[in-house]
Amino acid sequence: MRLYPLLFSLLLVAGVLAVLVGSGDLADPELRDTFLKLRGYRLAAAFLAGAGLAVGGVVVQGVFRNPLASPSVLGTTAGASFGGQVALLAYGLGGIGGTFVVPEMLVPIGCFLGAVAALGVLLLFLRITQDLLALLLTGFVLSALFLSLSAFVTSIAQETWELGRAVVSFSLGSVSGTGPRQLAFAFPLIAIALVACWFWGRSLDLLLSGEEEAQAMGANVGAVRWWSAIWVSVLVAGAVSVGGNVGFVGLVVPHMLRPFAGTKHQRLIPAAALAGGIFLVVCDIIARVIPSRSEIPLGVVTGLIGAPLFLLLLIRLRRERAYA
Amino acid sequence: MRNGDGPLGLRAKGVKVTLGGRTVLHDVDLDANPGEVLALLGPNGAGKSTLLKALAGLLPYEGCVEIADVEVASISPRMRAKRISYVPQRSLLRSALSVEEVVALGRYVHGGSFGGISQSDRDAIDHALETAHADSLRDRIFTQLSVGEQQRVLLARALASDAPILLLDEPTAALDVREAMAVLRLIRTLAERQHTLIVVLHDLADARSTTDRALLLKEGRVAKRGSTAEVVSPGPIRDVYGVNLIENARIGFEPAADGTG
Repeated sequence: MRLYPLLFSLLLVAGVLAVLVGSGDLADPELRDTFLKLRGYRLAAAFLAGAGLAVGGVVVQGVFRNPLASPSVLGTTAGASFGGQVALLAYGLGGIGGTFVVPEMLVPIGCFLGAVAALGVLLLFLRITQDLLALLLTGFVLSALFLSLSAFVTSIAQETWELGRAVVSFSLGSVSGTGPRQLAFAFPLIAIALVACWFWGRSLDLLLSGEEEAQAMGANVGAVRWWSAIWVSVLVAGAVSVGGNVGFVGLVVPHMLRPFAGTKHQRLIPAAALAGGIFLVVCDIIARVIPSRSEIPLGVVTGLIGAPLFLLLLIRLRRERAYA
Repeated sequence: MRNGDGPLGLRAKGVKVTLGGRTVLHDVDLDANPGEVLALLGPNGAGKSTLLKALAGLLPYEGCVEIADVEVASISPRMRAKRISYVPQRSLLRSALSVEEVVALGRYVHGGSFGGISQSDRDAIDHALETAHADSLRDRIFTQLSVGEQQRVLLARALASDAPILLLDEPTAALDVREAMAVLRLIRTLAERQHTLIVVLHDLADARSTTDRALLLKEGRVAKRGSTAEVVSPGPIRDVYGVNLIENARIGFEPAADGTG
């Protein structure tokens, strides 16, 4: 298979660039180690978040049988981001968590609950209608709802400057402030969920033929849907807890990959994990090199790439369906 | 013969299906035996496809549907799919899977979660493709095939599961004469290999040429049962469809004079 050597080579190049590129001067012997360490964390965070979001995209596209679905389009990322912000707020204002859980755990838990809430509503809605437009509109409404709730959280967080800054930076998507403890919590979440999604891969293949045929071929459709939703929520929670609200990765990466990796989930999922990681590492490098007074948020870079692609896909899909 | 559990028949008693508060099937009894093709006939809306889906365990029903004295509703989807394979009229598959990958989906019930294709999976896929005369299509993309070719691939997918009971929903609908003949010949071949086949058919001539026994449905009830020759005969056809059956070199129809049916 030539896909994997290519992906690993790209990862190597992106990884080296991610360590070398940035505003700090590596020639300074006193600061070099610190810079390298910070960029290493940043590289790991971008890779993890990208891997989680890309595989989340592959799985929701399979579950909803819809190439336009992705965690951000369906409101899952916004839900996770809102959950994470509430967790930050609860910790910052109320001091919740100090005694029972370490603060680094609070954000992933909040993200998970937010993601589960968003996907749960969507799955319940899917029982009423499976229409493409209705699905996308529901995702849009959920996104809008969570974004406005996030705005409310942000306004409360402005009471203290530090908390306000943390909450805002979270909603814009960024891997610049990720530390080793956050990585240590996100890594197992994403790794376990990736493996779990891979295990559900064969069942997801059956779902490509629709609910009835999948059931006839022996799939327990309800279980596939709910477990997939849980694992996608874990993936998105892990990704958002280290990368904040980064959109469109789950849309862009699976589409770029399918011509090379095919449609079968057990082939697509590992490739998407690698490619998603590379994509976000590259986006983070772009965020660092674009000249600007302060660094461009990562979510802005992925949005600028993802939004036009989404529109292109929408046009192509509607054309295909119109002539089908 | 590849036929997982060996020949198995299917028996249904008092099957009633209610959809959206409306009873669409009333008290249907049926039995289908290995080596035999049973036709489900009747006008549009008579409940043929609904009955087929209920037998496949895809719709909730009252009454009982049994395979070897085991109630279908009480077994897991996986165990059921090992025994019954349901072939829809058209697949909803829109993804770019190759024919071989589509047929491999039929092996789901035999595989572990690791998803590797074993040698026995490979043999079953080869055998199914060969039996359904779809071998030459193996590397083609399923969605780019003609309707007739897709139907043969769906049959191959069903055969790959090694299920002894096959339920086919209008397998010849939208096929041209040549494609339809190929599918009908395949149905006969499968019966000779001791599969149990229940087939929804619209074309009564096809039913006469291909099936052994028939169940004629009208408004969700059994109007006539028996050998296909008995069922597709002037009396029942006139009662159910309101047309006169003209026995000739080919079968033709004309509206009944009194417009009954």
